[in-house]
Amino acid sequence: MTREIILQARGLKKYYGRGETQVRALDGVDLDIERSKFTAIIGTSGSGKSTLLNMLGGLDTPSAGSIKVGNTELASLNSEQATIFRRKQIGFVFQNYNLVPVLNVWENIIFPISLDGRKPDKKFILQIVSLLGLEKKLESLPGSLSGGQQQRVAIARALASKPSIILADEPTGNLDSKTSDDVIGLLKMTSQEFDQTIVMITHNPEIAAMADRVIRIEDGQIVMQ
Amino acid sequence: MKKEKIFRPIPVLTTRMFRTNRGRNVVAVLAIMLTTMMFSTLFTLTQSLSRNLVEMTFRQTGYDAQASIRGLTEAQADTIAASPQVAEIGQSIVLGQAENDALTGQSVEIRWADESYATHSFAYPSTGRLPEIADEIALDTLVLDRLGIPHELGQTVTLSWRKDLSRDEVTTTSFTLCGFWEGNRSSYASMAWVSRAYADEMTGGVLSSDENQILGLYMIQVNLLTDQDIEGSMDRILADAGLSHLEYSVNLAYSPEMGAMAAQESLPMYLGMVLVFVAGYLIIYNIFQISVTADVQFYGKLKTLGTTTKQIKKLVYGQANRLCILGIPIGLILGWLSGFVLVPVFMGAMEGEAVVSASPVIFVGSALFAWATVLISCLRPARLAGKVSPIEALRMSDADTDSKKKQKRHLGTASLPAMAWANLWRNKKRTVTVICSLTLGLVLLSCFYAKNAALDMEKYLADLILADFELSDATSEDYINNYDPHGTTLTDALVSQLESQEGVEASGHLYSAQIQWQMDEGTLQNLAAFYTEDKLTDWESYDPQGAQALRSALVAGDGSAILYGLDGIPLDAITQNQYVLEGSFDAAEFASGNYVLAVGPSVELGAEYPVLPVPSVGSTVELNGRTYTVMAVVYPLNPVTQLTVQRGGGDKFSLSFIIPTDTFRQQWPDHTLRKLFLYVDDAHIHRVQAFLDDYMADTDPSLPVASRQTMASQYQAQTRSSAVMGNAISIIIALVGVLNFVNSMVTAILSRKREFAVIQSVGMTKRQLSRMLTAEGLYYAALTLAASYLISALTVGIVVRAMVEGGFTTFRFTLLPLMVCTPLLLLFALLIPYLCFRNLEQHSIVERLRME
Repeated sequence: MTREIILQARGLKKYYGRGETQVRALDGVDLDIERSKFTAIIGTSGSGKSTLLNMLGGLDTPSAGSIKVGNTELASLNSEQATIFRRKQIGFVFQNYNLVPVLNVWENIIFPISLDGRKPDKKFILQIVSLLGLEKKLESLPGSLSGGQQQRVAIARALASKPSIILADEPTGNLDSKTSDDVIGLLKMTSQEFDQTIVMITHNPEIAAMADRVIRIEDGQIVMQ
Repeated sequence: MKKEKIFRPIPVLTTRMFRTNRGRNVVAVLAIMLTTMMFSTLFTLTQSLSRNLVEMTFRQTGYDAQASIRGLTEAQADTIAASPQVAEIGQSIVLGQAENDALTGQSVEIRWADESYATHSFAYPSTGRLPEIADEIALDTLVLDRLGIPHELGQTVTLSWRKDLSRDEVTTTSFTLCGFWEGNRSSYASMAWVSRAYADEMTGGVLSSDENQILGLYMIQVNLLTDQDIEGSMDRILADAGLSHLEYSVNLAYSPEMGAMAAQESLPMYLGMVLVFVAGYLIIYNIFQISVTADVQFYGKLKTLGTTTKQIKKLVYGQANRLCILGIPIGLILGWLSGFVLVPVFMGAMEGEAVVSASPVIFVGSALFAWATVLISCLRPARLAGKVSPIEALRMSDADTDSKKKQKRHLGTASLPAMAWANLWRNKKRTVTVICSLTLGLVLLSCFYAKNAALDMEKYLADLILADFELSDATSEDYINNYDPHGTTLTDALVSQLESQEGVEASGHLYSAQIQWQMDEGTLQNLAAFYTEDKLTDWESYDPQGAQALRSALVAGDGSAILYGLDGIPLDAITQNQYVLEGSFDAAEFASGNYVLAVGPSVELGAEYPVLPVPSVGSTVELNGRTYTVMAVVYPLNPVTQLTVQRGGGDKFSLSFIIPTDTFRQQWPDHTLRKLFLYVDDAHIHRVQAFLDDYMADTDPSLPVASRQTMASQYQAQTRSSAVMGNAISIIIALVGVLNFVNSMVTAILSRKREFAVIQSVGMTKRQLSRMLTAEGLYYAALTLAASYLISALTVGIVVRAMVEGGFTTFRFTLLPLMVCTPLLLLFALLIPYLCFRNLEQHSIVERLRME
């Protein structure tokens, strides 16, 4: 199997403020991520992990450096194009789930696809839903679900559009260890099933241990791969 | 799974978000409703006003066809009627004017007319029909009332008229009433329709095409298919018919001047619309800005999930449209209803029935205006929502994020008032918006109030009426047939009865006579010196005949003199110091009969003129064979000297003189009283009025009576309308401002729940927090009031003062409405923070800390 680079970052920098009070959230990061691999990013709070992840997904723009997703240079897209590219190519799983409170589970899952004006692949999504054990909750509103259930909805949403990349920011941060294991297991399983690349931030060494590759970030720089 | 329908995320989100924000929506719907209401009130007024104006002009000109032609033959009329551009023509033959004594002062034209002519002259019988046989007649109710004939078909009507006005031979005919209709007071003449048979009998079948030959004058009204380019159409029609030599006149109601007048009448309304737009913008913008700011994290979340800027804007506009769907219809109905109430008040000043327009233009127009206001108000909030970057959304709070301020300049104490002051400016835009919104309403209110307070009824009445009652001869103000000095309206019996009424404090008499007068050299010099070429040219521009009369008088010196014999009230009034322009008045000397008072031009009172266009004081004038010395020159007071010329007085340039009644009576013993003036004490005004009412009902329905009381109430009715309108609009705008104020304060407090919990958790007591919030409210109110007082004082003192300049006004500087609003505003400023604070108190600090 040839090494195919799906995500590439070069000289990535993100600075906030100026002069004395300048904060260097990312300070020159070079990174290649291979297709179909599970990469874990670890680091202390404030080390720049989340900034890196947001930037890889095009949510945030770098002060300097470039990011290439597949063959697309993110910097070449305007914000509207970036939004559309993101909802087609990248699935996000956020620490705080980011579910839309006024939409029910099913609507939340198909939300990004609908925004794109596409018809959801119902059979495929129902498959994910049953894999994640959400069949009975489809019409519930997010507020009535437990944290683990909400996170599973978020994962289903990330997978629904069949993105090539899933970016997850501490998806288990708010979950107990039993649920965490389940969620990670599911994520790994589905990604293998659908041949997806996962980049995940975590604090949990056990989860990191399940990854194909672990990247450690300190003070905005990669210190260990 | 019942999700077979296609899921359309933006509309679904729009609906669901709408449901979750009830409180906010209520405020927004209220604001939109008020805005729409103001727009539709203004639209209703504008539409009704122009409709009534056109209607009124039709009634004044007497017909609503586009053009009329007189002095043509029936065959020519048929050719014109055949033109494809003519919808129809109406034909009429004039016989003469009814001269019954009971009809003095009322013009009644005896004519034959076909159905079209009668209909387009607003004189088609509403009961009965047009005459068909020789002795039938159709009249309006005004004429019937004058003649004392009941409104019943079959009554006998006798009319006297002259076939030839230059001879005294009177034709008297008795007719049977075959139709009548409601008379139209604003028209110059009433119509008495007779049959064609009668007309032919009178004219002997000979039609007149000479305008000076009244009997048998044939005329037509031409109804065109379109109102556009009437003159062009008429020229073409006549040219096609080979009748270009005929002269036609275009109905005044269709003239471009009328359109311009209607536009001018509507001008204040357009101004009002601009104000409404500004007021609407200020509040709706603020509401949306607040709600977008409150929802900014939500929009950020949607953005991270792949919602594009366009889609988010759609979401914001979707919310706005939903609010419009609720607010606009209610506002339209309320606005139309308030227009319904206001139109009659407004039209009170005009003759005729006020019609409230229900034209679709009102509803479509105001709905569109209101909708446009909402959409324009949403532009910035929608852009803000769309611009949210997913990352920033997580940090955004109620305060402006693009604050340049990174440090506080001085490290003062964190006193409560200082904190409150700082809090006020955390969101500068909102604070400024709210202050502007409230200030706009308050300033407008002050201006309208000051403008109305400046109206001076005494000044207005002084120009119209001198005494409590003024009775005149029926022909005194007959501008068509002019004054008849032998009129019989004010009989000696009536005068002595009135003067002996209980409560009559004083009376006064006015006689008049007009004579040919060869002006002397001194007078001519004065005239020439006063009426410079510039003045004459200017005069010519609006009254060419008057100016021409003066020009020829200047050359030949032949003019006419109007002599007034005055005593009592009118003499006292016109000789008051402020009205004596030159010389001085000595009552005893004047009574000797050797002096005259010359009536000057209506110059500006108080100004000095080197020369007045009358005989100089001290010079002598010879009038009607008697020589007088000019004692003084007086100002032409309208109620005394603004009267019509005498019948047969000619149209020469005239000057007016005043002599004592006794002297006048010696000179013209046969002239009857022209005007009677009465002062009546307040307690007896009603009794005198009742006496006059009885007299008019029993003896003489045509007696012209002017009563100060009636005029005063008419004046009040007239001015009330503009006062009501102005106050209504400014009160609604002020209300919008208050709504804005309340909404902003409430949201400013509620959105900071967590922040308050934080400062409470580090030791601020409830009392202190409550004091801080109150201080914020008071600052808000104080800033608004300061701005309102400053701007109101300036606009009232400068703009309103200039606006009421001239006219019947006396400017008084007043800010009364502001003073009334001051305590109210302060009360709000105290009450709202208190109520919000109580609401906060329902949750514990810990609960509030956990809130997102």
